[in-house]
Amino acid sequence: MEKSYLLPHRFKKTGWILLVLGIAFGIAMRFFGIDSDYFGRIPFLGIVTENFLTSNKHFFKVAENGFLDELVAVLIILGGVLVGFCKTKIEDEFILQMRLSSLVWSVYVNYGILFLAVLFVFDMPFFDVMVLNMFTVLLFFIIRFHIQLHKANRL
Amino acid sequence: MKNTMKVQRAIKDVTQAQLAEIIGVSRQTINAIEKNKYVPSTVLTLKLARFFEVAVERIFELTEED
Repeated sequence: MEKSYLLPHRFKKTGWILLVLGIAFGIAMRFFGIDSDYFGRIPFLGIVTENFLTSNKHFFKVAENGFLDELVAVLIILGGVLVGFCKTKIEDEFILQMRLSSLVWSVYVNYGILFLAVLFVFDMPFFDVMVLNMFTVLLFFIIRFHIQLHKANRL
Repeated sequence: MKNTMKVQRAIKDVTQAQLAEIIGVSRQTINAIEKNKYVPSTVLTLKLARFFEVAVERIFELTEED
């Protein structure tokens, strides 16, 4: 059989924990006014940074940065990839097919939304759409795939 | 495509779960094949035929739509 590029099943639980934490912090930042400095600031090595006022670009500059937003993104990306791409307990050809169709579906939906947003959403709200769009392809896939799995369980 | 999976399973007196374990797939897969929701690969088909000890055509049959 062809290589499936999937990860071992044992990481899936860890994935759920990271993903749920990431989404929880993400919601807290977005809707409950918690900002990126909430847990303090730590130094980051910015390969590229830009001064807002002068528009000067800086390369390889160490700067302090509130890390909650980075943490949210890292948790959602790691958690999402683990949840989405860890094998199920018995990963067979039928489940692989559901996985593939869910992935195709989520890419369509994700870019469908982005396509509409490009045409109909502007300025800061468009920036918000782009931020969410970083994660939605993974999230749509995870939701779709698990609904399909659930349905197959109850067939 | 239609299939006689249920009948074959009854002859061998195994449940979906048991058959799944013997063949090395998930129970959902066996169920989906029986319900005609999934067409198995050649390898899986041959494994089923080997377990049921019948020719593949006795388990799966083409229909008009195929």
